[in-house]
Amino acid sequence: MSVEQIAASQMGMKALGAGIAVGLTGIGSGVAEMGIGSAAVGAVAENKDMFGLALLFTVIPETIVIFGLVVALLLLFV
Amino acid sequence: MLKPKQMSRLLIAASRDQMAPVIAELYRHNLFHIEEYVDVGAEGYEGFKIGTPLSGASEKSADLIKIRAITNAVSLSADDVESGPSCSMDELQARIERELPPLEREVEELTVRRSKLDAREKELEQKINELTPFTDIPVDLNLYHGYKRFTTIAGYVSREFVLAVPHEKFLSQGKEKNFLVMVYPTERKSEVEKTLQEAGFQSVPVPNESGSAKGRIEFYEGEIAAIRKEILEISSQLEDVKKKHAGFLVACEELLKAEVDQTEAPLRFATMKQTFIAEGWIPSDKVTAVTNSLVHVTEGKIFVTVVPSDPVHDKVPVEYNNPDFAKPTQVFMDVYSRPSYTEVDPTLMISIVFPLFFGLILGDVGYGLILLAMAFWLRKYLKGEDGRHLLAVLRNASISTIFFGIIFSEFLGFAIPGWNPILYSRHLMSEHGGHGPNIPELMILSIWIGIVHITLGRVLGMYNHAKQDHGHHRTLAVMANFGWLAVMWGILITIWSTVAMPLMPDLTGLPLIATIPPVGFGLNVGHVIGIVLLLAGIICIARESVLEVIELPTIVSHVLSYARIVAVGLSSVAIAMVVNFMSITMFIEPQLENLTIPGIVLILVGIAVFVFGHALNTALGILGGGLHSIRLHYVEFFTKFYKGGGRKYIPFGMKRRFTEE
Repeated sequence: MSVEQIAASQMGMKALGAGIAVGLTGIGSGVAEMGIGSAAVGAVAENKDMFGLALLFTVIPETIVIFGLVVALLLLFV
Repeated sequence: MLKPKQMSRLLIAASRDQMAPVIAELYRHNLFHIEEYVDVGAEGYEGFKIGTPLSGASEKSADLIKIRAITNAVSLSADDVESGPSCSMDELQARIERELPPLEREVEELTVRRSKLDAREKELEQKINELTPFTDIPVDLNLYHGYKRFTTIAGYVSREFVLAVPHEKFLSQGKEKNFLVMVYPTERKSEVEKTLQEAGFQSVPVPNESGSAKGRIEFYEGEIAAIRKEILEISSQLEDVKKKHAGFLVACEELLKAEVDQTEAPLRFATMKQTFIAEGWIPSDKVTAVTNSLVHVTEGKIFVTVVPSDPVHDKVPVEYNNPDFAKPTQVFMDVYSRPSYTEVDPTLMISIVFPLFFGLILGDVGYGLILLAMAFWLRKYLKGEDGRHLLAVLRNASISTIFFGIIFSEFLGFAIPGWNPILYSRHLMSEHGGHGPNIPELMILSIWIGIVHITLGRVLGMYNHAKQDHGHHRTLAVMANFGWLAVMWGILITIWSTVAMPLMPDLTGLPLIATIPPVGFGLNVGHVIGIVLLLAGIICIARESVLEVIELPTIVSHVLSYARIVAVGLSSVAIAMVVNFMSITMFIEPQLENLTIPGIVLILVGIAVFVFGHALNTALGILGGGLHSIRLHYVEFFTKFYKGGGRKYIPFGMKRRFTEE
């Protein structure tokens, strides 16, 4: 294998890693938000004042995918 | 600023014949938050009863209900009407007596007719539904009924069956079920029913009509069309009423609401045979003015005094006290929870930091301009106060987006020609001018923002606890907040002493104190300070509550969470660049070299991709920029110090828009 080939396959591996990082964390966030989101919608339907708190609870797992995105960016650009 | 308005508890006592002028005066000031009197035999209130409404309350309420019925029927809301020239009360009163009854009759007549027609339309639709299956049966509807010895049935069967009873049947094949119409002798009913039950028969009613099913359906459809036309006509008549009387109706509603509020106010007061007492809250700087005017209208026959109050236990109503430019942000505070009376009101901080975060995330001159235009254009449609406030927030955020767009040199994902990004670039491809993206620097910058923001939150937390708590608990709570800060900074100092990073202080060069022999790892002064801070912090946290210690990892995750400012921003840059690449490089540019007819079509496709892509990215930008910025406040910032749960200050009175005092 030539040096260029190795470099290219390393780049490809990085891209794959970045994709996996974003994809899996995205699924993770989705699964986590699923339950919270449905409960939150129920709570808001009962009492509109809950909206702020409900939104807050719903977006808490969002951090997971952000970490994935950060890892992906670091993989690709650093 | 940073604190709710200071309130004083006011007690008003006067004889009952002064009640009407006192109420009118309080209503005019629109400042007095009435503390409702509850008849529970509180100390000092023995013998007091809840008051009775002033005279004329029920007539006024009845009128108000009429007006609301009309405004509901024509779907009119006061927010839809520009406040025009206001009319005087007497004039309006006269007009209510003269114009309201005929108007009410007109609107009621129209709405009754409309609901009758609606009901008739439903009925006809039901008939059509019933008739539809019979369209496939080539028999006149007359023939289904009028027999003495025979029974007609219709319905669905799921499978074929053999019937021993003499009968006549029509079967139409359907996709899943077959529709069956059958006539059989009534005396053999039980046999037939048994067979049908085995064949999975579901009965439908046989329509009592004559003629062909198709013909009847057409007839009913014609009738429905006529009814719909009539409904439209009525709706347009109601629309005319709305247009013609909108100003009058909203003015009436306002006037009557004011009168009903005033006549019903005594229900919230404590009264005796000859006297009444009203208690409530009023902004402290307005106490003298209100007291003086009350004394003036009652010619001194009144007793007004400020009652000492305890800000923690008395639930003081909370009114924001913010400079004008921070007022729109109060919407975000109310969505979360209104600050309580004794804590720091962070509205001002959000009003500055939220647009900055939004701009840092979206950071694009093009999108900024689109959002700015949207913020102004939507003012035409959003007339309510909350809507106005949201648009003002959007306007500030879009100005900040333009500012950061200039700094990052971005216009709809392109680099601004002849302009290099100041400080750090977010351009993902270096061939589009300038150097590649400075991801590590941007990332660390966002971490710094997080560190500063969280430190600010914790400091505010210390301040709040110092102000709200008492005794031993106060010391513990303040120290716990300090502990969280110490752990965060301890971790930071330890990291800085271990590795050198761009944009972060480099403490690796500090004098060595000791070396851990097996790994050869040198401990320097920085490590020691960091670890001491960390341990001291953990002890401070544990002293308040041991369970809190399991929350320690959130220190890292909350700080890292601020990386979203860069991450979400970069993803929006990436989408913009992909859209540009697809539309311009793939569709438009190759065709521009030699124009052909299919080439022009491709160029149009390219333009469509461009417009659609950027519209999508703008929507995502509002969601991403807005939701993530506000989330950083709600989750990462507020959890450090903010409790909320304040009671809203609702002054007795109204802002008159259509009527005069």
